[in-house]
Amino acid sequence: MNALELSGVSKSFGDHVVLEQVDLVVSEGTIMALLGASGSGKTTLLRIMAGFEVVDAGTVTIGGVVVDDGTTAQAPERRRVGYVPQDGSLFPHLSVEKNVLFGLPRARRRRGAADGLLEQVGLAGLGGRRPDELSGGQRQRVALARALALDPRLILLDEPFGALDESMRAEVRDEVIGVLRALDATAILVTHDQDEALSVADRVAVLQHRSVVQEGPPEMLYEHPADPELAKFLGEANVLEGNRTGVRASTALGEVLLDDDCAGCSGPVRVVLRPEQLGIVEAGEGTPGTVVRHQYFGHDAMTHVATSGDLLLAVRHEPRRRLQPGDAVGITVLSPARAFEKDPKTPSE
Amino acid sequence: MTLTAPAPGATRRRRGDQHPWLTLLAWIVAIGVLMPLAFLALAATQAGWSSVAQVFFRRLTMTLLVDTVVMTVLVTMVAAFLGVAAAWILERTDVPFRRTLLVLLIIPAAIPDFIETFGWINLAPWLHGLFGSVFVLSLAVYPFVMLPVAASLRRIDHRHEEVAASLGTGRVGVILRVTIPAVRTAIAGGCLLVALQLLAEYGSFEMLGYRTFTTEIFTEFQVGFNTQIAAALCIVLVVMSALLVWGETVVGRGGRRAVASEVVAAPKLRLGPWRIVALGALVVLVVAAFGIPVLSIASLLISPGPAVLPSASLLGAVGYSLFYGVCAASLATIGAAAIALGSQRARSRLRRAPGTLALVPLAVPGVVVALALSYVAERYGGGRWYETSPLLIVGYAVMFLPLALIGIRSSLDQVPASLTEVAASLGSSRSAQLRRVILPLIAPGLGAAFALVFLSTITELTATLVMIPTGVATLATDFWTFQTNLSYGQAAPYAAAMIVLAAPPLVLLARLGQHRGEHHR
Amino acid sequence: MVLVASVAMLVASCSSSASSSKHLVVYSGQHPQTSAALVAAFERATGISVTVRSSDEAVLANQIKIEGSRSPADVFYAENSAPIESVASRGLLTTLPASILSRVPARVSSPKGYWVGVTARFSVMAYSTTHLKPSQLPSSVLELADPKWKGKIGIAPAETDFQPIVASVAKRYGTTRALHWLEGLKANAGSHIYPSNEELLAAIDRGGVDLGVINQYYWYRQAQQVGVRSMHSALATFAPGDPGFIESISGAGVLTASHDKAAAERFVAFLVSPQGQAIIARSSSFEYPLAAGISTPTGEPALSTLRPSPFTVAELGDGAIALALLQQAQLL
Repeated sequence: MNALELSGVSKSFGDHVVLEQVDLVVSEGTIMALLGASGSGKTTLLRIMAGFEVVDAGTVTIGGVVVDDGTTAQAPERRRVGYVPQDGSLFPHLSVEKNVLFGLPRARRRRGAADGLLEQVGLAGLGGRRPDELSGGQRQRVALARALALDPRLILLDEPFGALDESMRAEVRDEVIGVLRALDATAILVTHDQDEALSVADRVAVLQHRSVVQEGPPEMLYEHPADPELAKFLGEANVLEGNRTGVRASTALGEVLLDDDCAGCSGPVRVVLRPEQLGIVEAGEGTPGTVVRHQYFGHDAMTHVATSGDLLLAVRHEPRRRLQPGDAVGITVLSPARAFEKDPKTPSE
Repeated sequence: MTLTAPAPGATRRRRGDQHPWLTLLAWIVAIGVLMPLAFLALAATQAGWSSVAQVFFRRLTMTLLVDTVVMTVLVTMVAAFLGVAAAWILERTDVPFRRTLLVLLIIPAAIPDFIETFGWINLAPWLHGLFGSVFVLSLAVYPFVMLPVAASLRRIDHRHEEVAASLGTGRVGVILRVTIPAVRTAIAGGCLLVALQLLAEYGSFEMLGYRTFTTEIFTEFQVGFNTQIAAALCIVLVVMSALLVWGETVVGRGGRRAVASEVVAAPKLRLGPWRIVALGALVVLVVAAFGIPVLSIASLLISPGPAVLPSASLLGAVGYSLFYGVCAASLATIGAAAIALGSQRARSRLRRAPGTLALVPLAVPGVVVALALSYVAERYGGGRWYETSPLLIVGYAVMFLPLALIGIRSSLDQVPASLTEVAASLGSSRSAQLRRVILPLIAPGLGAAFALVFLSTITELTATLVMIPTGVATLATDFWTFQTNLSYGQAAPYAAAMIVLAAPPLVLLARLGQHRGEHHR
Repeated sequence: MVLVASVAMLVASCSSSASSSKHLVVYSGQHPQTSAALVAAFERATGISVTVRSSDEAVLANQIKIEGSRSPADVFYAENSAPIESVASRGLLTTLPASILSRVPARVSSPKGYWVGVTARFSVMAYSTTHLKPSQLPSSVLELADPKWKGKIGIAPAETDFQPIVASVAKRYGTTRALHWLEGLKANAGSHIYPSNEELLAAIDRGGVDLGVINQYYWYRQAQQVGVRSMHSALATFAPGDPGFIESISGAGVLTASHDKAAAERFVAFLVSPQGQAIIARSSSFEYPLAAGISTPTGEPALSTLRPSPFTVAELGDGAIALALLQQAQLL
């Protein structure tokens, strides 16, 4: 039985269609990241799962039980779905301990009953504090403990790390994900940050154009995106026009090996190459180009190179030497590229 | 794979809606608040357009209109000047004794206008007519401009002023062209409060011998008891008030966006030798608005002169005032809470309507509410509720429910919707959300609403005079009886009692306001 | 032990006599100076407890009309005759027995016997002694509308005391002339319009205004309060028979809605009884008791020396004409 199933979910607010025919399956014990740009409807989808919104069409099934079928919907308070909002939303008038114990029946809301949960999220001993005495990261963890206290079937987190300082973010993220894994919890995490989605989740679902355009393990999405737009969304991507014949395509970078084995395919294609799939070599080798911008990040460098035909390519490489704008360099292709058929109806890049 | 049985407890739900009972209750309260006024309008129209028109276009009506408008404009201007100047000196300069001065300058707000007038007239009986009215009432009402402007000056982004200064605007220019426009909303709001108060005021103008619409309505009611004339005059009064409310939304519009995200204290202007002048000016204001009336009443307490009338029971009056105050405050707070909780967060305009409708009595002077309720009791209640305590309490509640509602609404606004959603996700039913999350968080707002209505009820005069039951006297009515018989010595203890009873709610309100400001940061 | 028991019995008998019958509700438009002592004495003498609702007589009259048969009031005690007559004309008062009505002259009571006159008051001029000499005073109330009095007079048009004067002028000279006279008064008074006779007199006394028309007792009350020597004003009457010099009557009656008419009649009887009238004469009321044989209040001229206009309560009726004229003149 799957923890969550969405089938054909559609939602509009007035004339504004936010979600259209969304399908999603989340199996138990999975941590899924729901990735999308701002305004893509991901928060709405999360709220539908929690029961704060109802669908216009489609079904929502949690733990094998239909909780929303477009006609009737189960109230949030009966769904046993944990919800951690963006800022934690701790009850300001209650202490940390009382916050954590909020959802439990009165008999179990005793002093000290929250200690175990607080320890689990790394906040042992802070039960007596008030929410306004905590840091952002601590608040987030209290919110998580509060949701976990009810042993929910599903935990929903809405941009949980977005409001944190950069320096705190990684640490809190690791802690929270650690807790979720330790409990073998099923969690859906909404985020607009691709790095975050790719690094923490077991599976990633990308919400674009009002529905889920692709869903799968992070590696699959990154290396085998469903279309060039998605490729660009998940990370830097170089998109070139090309003409394929079998497993090769001729592009501005010369002949490029493609990563699928469609020997019989041919025709115009778009070829996607990640920056780390390209290399910088001395001028005279590879495809000639001119450095437009060079950024040094310490662990690696990103160079933007202009080649013939007004093509600007991003290349990620080890920072061997300092490059200046105007330097002449050469570009090589290091690994097979992904090709996408050109759909005549799709507007060109 | 999936079961097709619907989940237990599944019903059609929409986000943010309250329990239907609560919404219904909100509507009932809102309609209850508006009904008497609707009936009064009905009464006026029943008189027939020709007789109503006759009243509208009487020379006296026109004269009253002009007189009322002139007085309102003058007093509002003077009060606004005093209020803005005092607020600016307190918030933006290094005048000494800031804290003490702030408290002393706010206190006149707790003293009813007619008590202020009483204090002044006792010492200076020659205060009369338009000049007397402008002088005394400006002193009584300026705190209602000063308070919001001071709060606004504290919150706005003063960096605009620094930018203006860096671009070469002189200091006075900065004040006039940057600071004051930024607090425009606060000034407009304060002026609106002042003007509405003036339109509704009766006691002060009776004492000062200045005829306004409200004093005339009162006279019509007393002497002629011509409901039609009274109702027609009421309509004019309500229309004027409505125009003022509309005007405020127009004028005050621009200033609302100037609030800074971070509260960084603006640098205080160093006054140097002008410190003494500024301090002196504020002290003069305190003395005039607070010191002199209080001293005047105190002197009457010390040497009251011969008793003109048989004495009444001060304790009895205190008892009734407290009784009405508590009952009215409870009723108004509960009603306002029902409206706020039942309508504020609803998604549809229709469900939100009670919140707006219930604010209407703000623009309706007390005497009109009193007349309306009396009319309804007489015509439709079979005369049974006429001049009874329950009707009077309902009158107070109708008059002051908008005040309670404004306080509770702003308190409720500060409770983010995500809190109730999270509570729902944690298994709280709607009533549990109300009980465990919303009510504890709006408790200060409820307390403030109660205090405000209590304060307003104890110091209310005009409607009370119209509706008070036989054998009952409140502090205000006993005061008025003694005052009209010019027995100032006997009136003074009642005046003093009103001031004393009004002080604790005011202190409570000030404290709650402070706390809210701190919480927000 | 015996003492306790007897005290207990005494208390019980007092309360039982009080509760066994008697409680009256009196709507009083009269000044408390007049009514308070009377009510207290009545309660002592009869053991009937009285609750008084004090308010403006026009308000009370209207309240009685609205309450109709449901009114909790037993007695209406008015300051002027017009309001109580307006209540009587609606059939809301019962006729009083001859024993009560015969105690005062017939002319001062309701012609049909619905209410009895209790005290008389006279409209006179009050003038500022610092600004006016007696030789400068007008002899007729009509003169006050002359331009020469512009800015010098004050009026209190909302006072119910003023309406009988207006009715008197209208009766003598017709409503048109009365209207002109009122408009002249309004022009001359300017901003000196006061809500009550007390304030008008206070203004005259401190010299803010030169002259006004009030009922005589206001002056005597203020003189008693501050001392005659501190008064800077004096009273004078208009010429004998002038319409501005009238006798207005304060009367009381029993409501048909009264739940205990016998007790109510006892109260009204008390008002015109020798005891009651003597209390009035001694009180700070300074109104003239109407029952025969009661002495004049101290300091005031004897009733027999006064020569008011012969305008009677019967002619005044319910005062509707006066009200209409005041509204037409835009004074109300």
